[in-house]
Amino acid sequence: MALIVASLVILSISFSEAESGPLSSIQRGVSAVLTPVQEGASRALKPARDLVNWFDETFDARGENDGLREEVQALREQLADAQKAEGENVEFRKLLGLRSAEATIDAYKRVTGRVIARSPTVWYSTVTVDVGSGEGVEVNDPVVNGDGLVGRITETTRGSAQLTLITDHRSAVSAKLLPDGPDGVVEPEAGDPEDLLLDFIADDEEVEEGQMLVTAGWSNGRISSAYPYGLEIGRVSETGAGEQENFQQVHVEPFADMRDLEFVQVLTGGPKRPGVPE
Amino acid sequence: MIVTPRIGARVAAILLVAAILQVSFFSYLSLLGATPDVLAVVVVSLGLLGGAVIGGVCGFGAGLLLDSILLQTLGVSSLVLLAVGYLAGRYREGFELSSALTAPLLAGALTALGALGFSAIQLMLGVETQVSLLVLREIVIKGLLAFIFAMPLYPLVRRLLRPALVDGAPAGRGVLARGRVERARRRRGRAARLNRGVSARRVRGGVA
Repeated sequence: MALIVASLVILSISFSEAESGPLSSIQRGVSAVLTPVQEGASRALKPARDLVNWFDETFDARGENDGLREEVQALREQLADAQKAEGENVEFRKLLGLRSAEATIDAYKRVTGRVIARSPTVWYSTVTVDVGSGEGVEVNDPVVNGDGLVGRITETTRGSAQLTLITDHRSAVSAKLLPDGPDGVVEPEAGDPEDLLLDFIADDEEVEEGQMLVTAGWSNGRISSAYPYGLEIGRVSETGAGEQENFQQVHVEPFADMRDLEFVQVLTGGPKRPGVPE
Repeated sequence: MIVTPRIGARVAAILLVAAILQVSFFSYLSLLGATPDVLAVVVVSLGLLGGAVIGGVCGFGAGLLLDSILLQTLGVSSLVLLAVGYLAGRYREGFELSSALTAPLLAGALTALGALGFSAIQLMLGVETQVSLLVLREIVIKGLLAFIFAMPLYPLVRRLLRPALVDGAPAGRGVLARGRVERARRRRGRAARLNRGVSARRVRGGVA
């Protein structure tokens, strides 16, 4: 009985206290002590992990192969159009004096980290990376991998940081449909790491399967999204009638495979985004 | 289970290793679309070997450790694993582990119950996004995986804690082994009484 009460008290305090509270400090201390052990275990067990996941991935890959062939064909056609548009875009940006999305992201310092631990439940889509405040990583820094946006940093210790993935139920990312689609908010569907939902897209907006989404980098001058403009999120996989009146439901398949993260890059030290706490 | 400081340290080491392996290895695996929850299986095993109090304490400690390692909201995992360990211990105190499948079946059922409890707590704390039905699939598969993983893990934990177990007889022979032990104890008692009687007669007869 005493333990149940203790659990409930800890839960209540942990849920409501500030980041600098005593429980958070103890938690970060325990995490900092165990980080080297986790790092060692993660590296030592990688071959075994890869072996087990190889069977799963091989099984999936057979089914994906045909779909990918068709996608490559479609992408070749799109590439030719995109290259022409890109050339024009560069010219127009020069004329107007605008910075490109690449230039915005290049303003950030990239800190590469290895994923050393992850949560066992679908409710917490969080992983621990082996870089922390010692490497300049700060809370709310965006995180990407080779495929696209992965999430943002939500806790830091000196040698590690908690990365909350965009598939976590507490996550929301302002996003823009390319090439000239509307803005919306990408939210996860709790329990499904392969599906995101693009919310607040009006019924009369035209959204097509295969359209790409990037972070919108939304800001009104006082509050902003934690993510800069132009980080690739995913591709529209399905559209349909939404549960909310006047909005359609758009399903998005994320580019990054959240179940198979090995290395990530934390984008830190970029331009200050108004209203985003550091 | 008799918990000496040495055994306590051994239990703590088992939980620490299980938690590290959980976050560094098992959480990366995707088997049938779900992640195996080995820490819950270990807590169930400890509850089955040590009873309700030990199961509850181990579950509480394992949960706090897991939440601390992952920098998650403290208390959620400890509440769930406490219940899982306590229920396993209560079963141990009320019933006999009559079959080799009892422990894995209990581990599967209690792990699924724990995952259900975890989901319920999360929903109570507030989830603003839509919830996929895949959560239910995850709960069922977690239970199934726990059943499979408990087959080697329960005997392993039992072996590691053998010096502390009251019924040190091999697993799966509880009722028969206890009967044999009881009969042997009665035989030893009768023999001792008999010896005392013979000695007394010898003393009275001046033999001694």
